[in-house]
Amino acid sequence: MCNLPIKVVCRANAEYMSPSGKVPFIHVGNQVVSELGPIVQFVKAKGHSLSDGLDEVQKAEMKAYMELVNNMLLTAELYLQWCDEATVGEITHARYGSPYPWPLNRILAYQKQWEVKRKMKAIGWGKKTLDQVLEDVDQCCQALSQRLGTQPYFFNKQPTELDALVFGHLYTILTTQLTNDELSEKVKNYSNLLAFCRRIEQHYFEDRAKGSSSIRLS
Amino acid sequence: MAAPLELSCWGGGWGLPSVHSESLVVMAYAKFSGAPLKVSVIDNTWRGSRGDVPILTTEDKIVSQPAKILNFLRKQKYNADYELSARQGADTLAYIALLEEKLLPAVLHTFWVESDNYFTVTKPWFASRIPFPLSLILPGRMSKGALTRILLTRGEPPLYHLREVEAQIYRDAKECLNLLSNRLGTSQFFFGDTPSTLDAYVFGFLAPLYKVRFPKVQLQEHLKQLSNLCRFCDDILNTYFRLSLGGISPAGQEMVDANLQKLTQLVNKESNLIEKMDDNLRQSPQLPPRKLPTLKLTPAAEESDSLQRLSP
Repeated sequence: MCNLPIKVVCRANAEYMSPSGKVPFIHVGNQVVSELGPIVQFVKAKGHSLSDGLDEVQKAEMKAYMELVNNMLLTAELYLQWCDEATVGEITHARYGSPYPWPLNRILAYQKQWEVKRKMKAIGWGKKTLDQVLEDVDQCCQALSQRLGTQPYFFNKQPTELDALVFGHLYTILTTQLTNDELSEKVKNYSNLLAFCRRIEQHYFEDRAKGSSSIRLS
Repeated sequence: MAAPLELSCWGGGWGLPSVHSESLVVMAYAKFSGAPLKVSVIDNTWRGSRGDVPILTTEDKIVSQPAKILNFLRKQKYNADYELSARQGADTLAYIALLEEKLLPAVLHTFWVESDNYFTVTKPWFASRIPFPLSLILPGRMSKGALTRILLTRGEPPLYHLREVEAQIYRDAKECLNLLSNRLGTSQFFFGDTPSTLDAYVFGFLAPLYKVRFPKVQLQEHLKQLSNLCRFCDDILNTYFRLSLGGISPAGQEMVDANLQKLTQLVNKESNLIEKMDDNLRQSPQLPPRKLPTLKLTPAAEESDSLQRLSP
């Protein structure tokens, strides 16, 4: 959205390369910056920012909604991937351990699962059932949908960091094949969110990717 | 319909009905929505589990986390968000998430991890409300839980140094307070003139930070500079919590006591003065009534003579 030239590289040990242990991270010259927040600030320091046109109250709202997405959607995604037994067994273990030979793939997968479960317990999601998680996702999507309304982007004409964040999460939820489709069904209930994702994909990704890596939204 | 709803939560101090953020959120929401809650404070003799406080007990159900308790109250038709638009409801969710992500780690740190604060204020307070021998174990466990939560959500060694994490969470918390202050502006509550869920959450998180007396106070200082947030807390305390669990709020009771003391002192002073005057009167040099043989005064005249001698 900022028109910056980037090259996307997939690496198996990305998490270990990152300075904070989290992906994504960008490598610019001799600087490495990880996670959305610091990357946004880094880019802003270099002179590109999407949220300059917002006033103080709108900036506060944007930050609040970004936290909502982080809090609910991200945690729900992690939960579904790592704490729901069916998904874990069939998809996650296989996918996470695929770059490594046996037995490393098993060990790393179990280690990651243990870490995620520990985090869930610390923030109080340890005792939640899948239905409660889905309900939380539904609430979050409802809030986002109401905030978006009929506008093209969250803060009317121009996309901001919030739009990028929401697109990232919703697109992933909608296009990732899981044993359980309920999560994407919840998102699909909100037509304006679907339209929003489609619009951003068409506008920013298909013009450039020329069909190489984007998967069509069904 | 009005089944007896009983809320068990941590008690109060420093002018607050409770020093525990989550308990305060539920209490505030109950006051805003008019739910008849019977609040029972956890003290030394309470025999339940203390991990999940606050807990709402009705005749057939036990509900434990603040979000769930609020949902339950809403289902029972005690809804403080009745007049909010859909967009405001969405904003509420977003701001609550902001509070939990940005402010809560720093509040937890100030109460439970910062060693000066923890050992001088938090631990003694909680330990005095938990019977021995749990009082030796439970505060420590709560402190560890807080530290784990902060580290797991913000980054832990060996990738991060604890000092950096602390600096970051306080920066985030100050930014969050500034954002809240901007959003509140000059209005009385966050969405107009009636309080709602968001007001309950903000009050629950801010009030302990504002009122509890800590040795290490950097976040408290920052909060005190944001006068509209302080006014917000004080308003809610005065309007909704003037009569608390014991009949008169502790702050009110102190005021009454102070006034009573002053009054008693004044009365004492007055009576002392009167006594002194009496003494003066009695001890002033009086000539004994001489029996003057020649003077045979009438009793009335004698009196007036002695009176004349007494007056200066």
